[in-house]
Formats: sequence, structure tokens, C-alpha cells
Amino acid sequence: MKLLSSFKKELILASRGFYFYVELIFALVILAVLLFAIPQNFSSTSTEYLYFNLPQEGREIFTNNILKNDLDGESEIVEIEAGGKTFDAKLIVTDEEEIYIVDSEEAVRMLAETHRNIGAVIELNNNNQLHYKYYLQGYESTRLKNLISILQNESMDVLEERFNNQDVRPLSTGYEPLSDRENTIPPLIVFSGSLMGMFIMASYIFLDKKEGVIEAYAVTASSVWQYLMSKIFVVLLTSVVSGIIIIMPIMGFRINYGLLLLLLLTTGFFASSLGLLIASFYKNLTNAFGVIYLLLIIMMVPSIAYFIPGWDPFWIKIIPSYPLLQGFKEIILPNGDIAYPLIVSAGFLAVGIILFAITNIRFKKTLSV
Amino acid sequence: MMLKKIWIIFIRDIRVNTREFMTLYMMIIPLILAVGINFLSPGINDTSVNFALVENENLKQAAYFDDFAHVELFSDKQRVEDRVMARDDVVGILPKDNGYYIMTQGNEPESVLEYAKLLNVLYESDVQLEDASSEIIEFGRTVPPLKKMLVNMLLLLISMLAGMLIAMNIVEEKMDNTVSAINVTPTSRSAFILGKSLTGMVIALVSSIACLLITGFYNVNLGQAALVVFSSTILSLMIGFIQGINSDDVMEAAGSVKLMFLPMAGSIAGYEFVTGNWKIFFYWSPFYWAYRANDMILSKSGTWPQLIFFIGIILVICGAVYALLAPRIIKGLQ
Repeated sequence: MKLLSSFKKELILASRGFYFYVELIFALVILAVLLFAIPQNFSSTSTEYLYFNLPQEGREIFTNNILKNDLDGESEIVEIEAGGKTFDAKLIVTDEEEIYIVDSEEAVRMLAETHRNIGAVIELNNNNQLHYKYYLQGYESTRLKNLISILQNESMDVLEERFNNQDVRPLSTGYEPLSDRENTIPPLIVFSGSLMGMFIMASYIFLDKKEGVIEAYAVTASSVWQYLMSKIFVVLLTSVVSGIIIIMPIMGFRINYGLLLLLLLTTGFFASSLGLLIASFYKNLTNAFGVIYLLLIIMMVPSIAYFIPGWDPFWIKIIPSYPLLQGFKEIILPNGDIAYPLIVSAGFLAVGIILFAITNIRFKKTLSV
Repeated sequence: MMLKKIWIIFIRDIRVNTREFMTLYMMIIPLILAVGINFLSPGINDTSVNFALVENENLKQAAYFDDFAHVELFSDKQRVEDRVMARDDVVGILPKDNGYYIMTQGNEPESVLEYAKLLNVLYESDVQLEDASSEIIEFGRTVPPLKKMLVNMLLLLISMLAGMLIAMNIVEEKMDNTVSAINVTPTSRSAFILGKSLTGMVIALVSSIACLLITGFYNVNLGQAALVVFSSTILSLMIGFIQGINSDDVMEAAGSVKLMFLPMAGSIAGYEFVTGNWKIFFYWSPFYWAYRANDMILSKSGTWPQLIFFIGIILVICGAVYALLAPRIIKGLQ
């Protein structure tokens, strides 16, 4: 009962403050960015510069082969600049690439160097066989360079035929990938809602420390844990409201909101308890700022792995925001795994309770001094 | 006389901040992040497809794939399957009657699957690295684009941190009522503003140059970099100062910090991911121009006139914001 009354008081106070509305405005801005600035799917085309140092017939064969994949079946004559020079080029645009066919090796070299893209020259060697010369930047990985260096060892037609006949056996089917816009939601929710709770919670406590509210609790009938918990409830409420503001207009009713609510609450509770614990060690926000800031940055690292398939080192997985990101992703995925968000929620709740208990003991000690 | 007062405020600020560990944080955090970038970027740059194979099943095949992909070996097929089913993207290559098949979880990106298929085809076709017929010419660049992007973000973050330092300084000054006290001292308000700004500015400059050196960008034009840091810090300081003046407590200042991140993150995303004419929508943001100028410096691809043009835009935007908000700053100091 006392907890409820404290929560109501905190809520009234928060509604009069600036922070509560900043959270809501922030959520609306993120929603606007997702809806209007982030496309449904990013176009990820790469650029290449090619020069066919071959007899006319050879040039035509190569050009026509590439042209087959052009979006409108026709090349476009363009001018492209590099190193203060302008080069004429034939531009072929496919689903995945923009290919500029130029008239000299110098053009390939200068374009590749200036625009930092890959360039290639195809010519005949002394034995009248095709010879490929690639222009790379130098920072490409050895594994990628290895692949490029052997790619032309076998005839493309042979490789293509074998490629199409590869036996691929997926362990599960019916997987529907998220659009790029949907895929951006989990990191935004994690950092805007769950993790910022840590920063905001610490700020709350420092404000009250400054005003002597915590000491005042020593002479009231209410206990410190109720006071701390009422603060957490306010942060959780804003986190849930802002999370739903961001997710609902994009995902509609396609996702399990019960699971979403559970994960938002448990992860918010964990982050708030962590913020409380940090606050218990410092006198003011300025002193605690470095620790909170560093933690927030560390928590952001798994979002790099989130966006780069294939880069997922072990140590990334032990940073708490990793399961957090994966949990939110699983919730918005069509046919997502229900068990994973449940396990993650249970884990964060358990750790949150432990952190909260430690914080409570620390704050009690502070009062007894 | 005025300069002396500014200097006194600056020195006092340094002393107060050192005592509070804030300056130390502001100096140390970017350096830790710079070391972190050095630690992260080689691994990310070496990203390839990840293969799971059965140990000792085909040693030659495992060695072959290792030249092109990351290979993990497992004792039996079940363990390979367990690894493929894990949350990250790992593809299994397993034996069948007449060759090998590719085991996937079913949710891998198309690019991962295509890479895996291509490598398996090359292996089956006995295309060996020793027989490589293509010639590779490199331009000798060693810094991968992702590292450049992370360092650029770090440079903007440093100027943001400087802004935050000023905001929090002012809030604390307000709470201690020293801001009002300035009005009855011979120190003018502008001297107070400049003195308060110097701390953040010096820290931003020193940290930025240290980070460039740590991350291996010692051959970029440090003078150009310092100029961009200086101009973007002016903006951060102004925002920080305005926040500091308008916030009555740390809670409000903390909330404002969150709002500050949005234009910065948006500008970076706009520069890196938005194509063509859509970039125009980010021209209003000085962070966009600062990021673009930094990118030019880090790539060693720009000229002084270009740089001065970018810095000019940043300063013009800052000037416009100042003209708009000057009355609030003056009011806040009263």
C-alpha cells in the first residue's frame, strides 16, 4: 500500500518534470525516423570499375554478359571524375552492383583509388589466355584477397552450374526475415528504453541525494526499498510507454505484446537496479558519470555484431545487451522463438533482484551513518 | 584584464573538475574507447563466413576452407548441428554419399549462404590457392572503412562530452548560486562564458589528438583535425551551455543529454547510409558537416578550401543558433 502511494507520488512529481516528456518526445522522434528516414530495405549496391583490354569481340561478349543483369537491360553513358580527371564510362546497374566500364587501365586505377572501390582489368596474357588484374585498397582481409585471387581459375559457366546444384539442407524452414526497418527496432528499444533507464535512475537518486530526500526517509514510516522501488516503477512506466510508441505503429498486432511487456519490464528493472547500485557509490552525477557512460558504451558494442552477420565473437555474448537485443529481435520476428525472450527475462529479473537487494543494503547503511 | 579573468575561471574550472574526477573521465573515456576500436576493428575487418566441420573427417578440406573462412571443428555431426542452430550465423559442411552438403539453420542472410556455396564449389572444383592466376595490386591503405567510421564517431563523441561537461558544470554552479554571484563581481558574463568553455575546449582538443594517435591516424593532418574538433566543440559547448542554463537540476540536464544524441546519431547515419539527394535533409545539422569534414581528413582525400568550406558551414549554423538563443543565455545568467 505504501509502495503504491509512493509510486503515485513519484508519478505526479515526474509528470510535472521535464524528463517524463523528454522520454515521450524522444520515442516519437525515433518513430518518425523509423517511418520516414529509414527505408523498408536499404539498397546495398557495391561499385566496380572494369576495363576490358581485349579485342572488340571479347569486349562485347563481356559487356553483353553483364548487361543481361541490368535493371532496364540498357547501359548508360556517363562521365565520372577521379583525381581531377573526367572519364567516360558505360554504366550498368544491377540489383547488387553499379558497374562502370571504362576505356583505359589508368581510369580503372584512378577511379578505384579515388572512390575506394574495387577495380579490375581483364586482358590477354602472352599465351593468349585471359588474365585478371584487380585493384584493391589494401585493407581487405587476407581471406577475401585469397578468394579474389582464385575466383577466375575456373570457368564462370562451370562454377555457376555447380553453384546452382549445391545441396543446401536447412534445419528449419518457414523463416521470414525482418525488413531493414524492422531490424533497426531492437537496438533503438534497447538503448532508448532499457539501458537509458540506468542513466535516468542514477540521475533521479542524485537529485534526491542533493535535496536530502533519502536521509529524510530515516524518519518516515516508509522503508528505503519502497522508495527505491517507486522510482524504478516510474522509469519502467516511461520505458514501456516509449517502447510501445515505437513498436506498435510499425509492427501492428503481429507480435506478442505480453512477451514484449515482460522483456521491457524485466530488462528495465535490471538497468534501473544497476543505475541505483552505481548511484550508491557516488556523491553526485558528475562523479558517477564516467562509470555510467563507459557502461553504456560497452553495452552498445553488441549492436555492431547485431548488424554484421559473421562477426559474433564469444566475448560479445557475455555483455548483457547481447541477449537483450536478441530477445527483442526474437519477439518481433515472425515465428520467433518464445522460449528465448522468456529465459532472457528470467535472467534479467534474477540479476535485477540481486542488484536491488545489494543496493538496498547499501542505502540502508548510508542512512545509519 | 578580461583575458586574465577568463584564465582564472578556466584554471578554477580545471581544479574543480579534477577534484570531481570529471575531467579525468573526459580524458580517459575517449582513450579507452580508442584502444577499444583498435581491439575491435581487425576482427570485424576479417569477417567472413563461419564454417562448422567434423574434426578429422577431412583434414585437407578443413585446411582449404581456413584460407577463405573461419573454421570451427566439432567431434561429430550432432555437435556441428548444435553449433549451426546457435544464434549466430554458422554454416555446416557435412559429408554425404557423393560429396558434401551445406547445413544451414534457415535464417542466414543470403550473402552468407552464397559465400558458403561458392567456397564449397571452389573446393569441389579443386581450385587451389597455389594456382591463383589473378594479379592483385593494392593501394597500400591499411585502415579499414569501419575503423575510420568508428574513429570519426569517437571524435564527435568527444566534442559531445565536452558539451556535457559544461552543462553539468553550470548546473552545479547554479545550484551553488555562484552564477548569480557573478553579477556582483567585476567579471563580465562573457568572460564567465569563455572561461567556462575553455575547459571543455582544451579537453576536447587534447583527447581528439590523443585518440587519433592511438588509433594509428598519426599521418593525417592533425592541424585540420584540430580545426574540425574546435568548430564542432563550439556547437557542443553552446548546446551544453544552453542546457546548463535552462536546467534547474541534474535530472533535466541528463534528459537534455539524451536529446543531444539524436541529431548526432542521425547525422552519422545520414552520411553513411543515406544515398543520393536524400542527404540534403541532413544539411541543417552541424554534426553532419563535422562528420563529413572528419571523414575527409581521415581519408586524406580533401583539400584546405573544402575543409574551410565545411568549417564555415558549421560556424554559420552555430552563429545562427547562438543568435536565436542568445537572449535565453543572457536571461539564464541573470
